[in-house]
Amino acid sequence: MSGRLTKDELLAPLARLRGDAVVVTSMGVVRPWARFSTSPLDFASADSAMGHTADFALGLALARPERRVVCLNGDGSTLMTLGTLVTIAAADAGNLVLFVIVNGTYELTGNQPIPGASRVDFAGLARAAGIPRVHSFEEPLAYERALPELLAGEGPVAVVVRVEPGDEGPLARGDPGEPPYLRVSLAESARRLREALGGAR
Amino acid sequence: MSPADPPRASLLLDAIEAALAPTHAVGLPDNASAALFSLLERHPRIRLVPVTREGEAFAVASGVWAGGGSPLVVVQNTGLIESGDALRGTAVRMGVPLVFVLTYRGFARASGTTPLPPERPLTPEILVDPRLDSVALLTEPTLDAWGIPYLRYGSDADVPQVAAAARRARDEARPVALLLTRALA
Repeated sequence: MSGRLTKDELLAPLARLRGDAVVVTSMGVVRPWARFSTSPLDFASADSAMGHTADFALGLALARPERRVVCLNGDGSTLMTLGTLVTIAAADAGNLVLFVIVNGTYELTGNQPIPGASRVDFAGLARAAGIPRVHSFEEPLAYERALPELLAGEGPVAVVVRVEPGDEGPLARGDPGEPPYLRVSLAESARRLREALGGAR
Repeated sequence: MSPADPPRASLLLDAIEAALAPTHAVGLPDNASAALFSLLERHPRIRLVPVTREGEAFAVASGVWAGGGSPLVVVQNTGLIESGDALRGTAVRMGVPLVFVLTYRGFARASGTTPLPPERPLTPEILVDPRLDSVALLTEPTLDAWGIPYLRYGSDADVPQVAAAARRARDEARPVALLLTRALA
C-alpha cells in the first residue's frame, strides 16, 4: 500500500453522485461530510455507540430496500464489531454500500494507532465474511472513476479506502458550533430521518 | 392450557403481531426462544435478521425503525449484558419504541431457591454460587440501572403483557423488555 486519499477526495465525488441515497456518517468524516451536504437524508452516527454504525445502516437498508444506503464507517469502528461484516453478507442487503475508511488511527481521540494498523487487510476481512463485491482504493482518480459503478448495481458492496489521518476532535452533538445535523439530539435526528423517508411503512 | 404449561410460541407471536405489526425480527436464538425463531424463519410477513452478537440486534433494529419499519428484537439475558453500550447508544438514545423479548436464562433455578435481587443482595458468595446462574441475578438490576422498563412473561395467561409492553414503548418512545421466564413450547 502506498497512496492515500484526502477526506475531500473521498467525500466530494460521493456528494456529487449520491442522488437520493441515505448517507450515514461516523467519527472522522461526520464534520467533513457536512461541508459537502445538508441533505435531510444525511445521518450522523455520533453520540451513539461506537462500532454500531454499520449495523444501524444495515437496518436502514433492510427497511428501505428500494433506496441506496451508504455507510461511511471507520477502521477502528469496523474492528469493534467484525461480526457485522458477516451479518451484512448474510442479510444480503443489495442496497447497502459500506465504506471502510482506513486511516489507521483513532482520529477523534488524538490519532492513536488502531490495533493491527498497517497489517489488517480490511478488504480481505470483508471478502472472507462473504460480502460479494469488495473494492479497495488508494488513489483518488481510480476511486472517482469507479464510484458510479460502486453506487449502482447489486450489493452489498464494501469499499475500502485509505485516507490521510486528519485532526478532527471529539464530536459535540447539541453544540451550536457543530454542523446542522449534529445540533439536534440523536433521537430527533432518527425521527427526522424516518420522516424524510416517508414515515412508517 | 394451565399456568403449569410452558408458554406457547405461537400465542406469543400472534400477540406480537397484533400489538407491533413487526416488519423485521432481529436477534440470536437460544433454547428458550428456539420455538419462536422456528416460527419467524418461515413467517410470511416478518423478515428474520440473524446477528452474530446481541449488541448488533439493537443497532439493526434502530436502523429498521429509522427507515420506517417496525422492529422486534429477541435475545438472551447474557447477550443483553454484553449489549450495554449498543442498547444505550442506539435504541435508547434514539428514542426507538422497541419491544424486545429477553429470555431469562437461570430464572427458574434462581427464583426457586433464593429471592432475586433487590430482595437478595448481590454478595460475592451468591455471585459465585454454582447452584445459581448469576446472569439471572443480574438481569433485572441491570435493566433497572439502564432505565429499561420490563414486564415478565411466563405463561399463556401473560399474553396481555405484550400489548402493555408495546403501549409503553410507543407512549414513552423507549425500549421495553418482555422477560421470558420460561422456555417457549
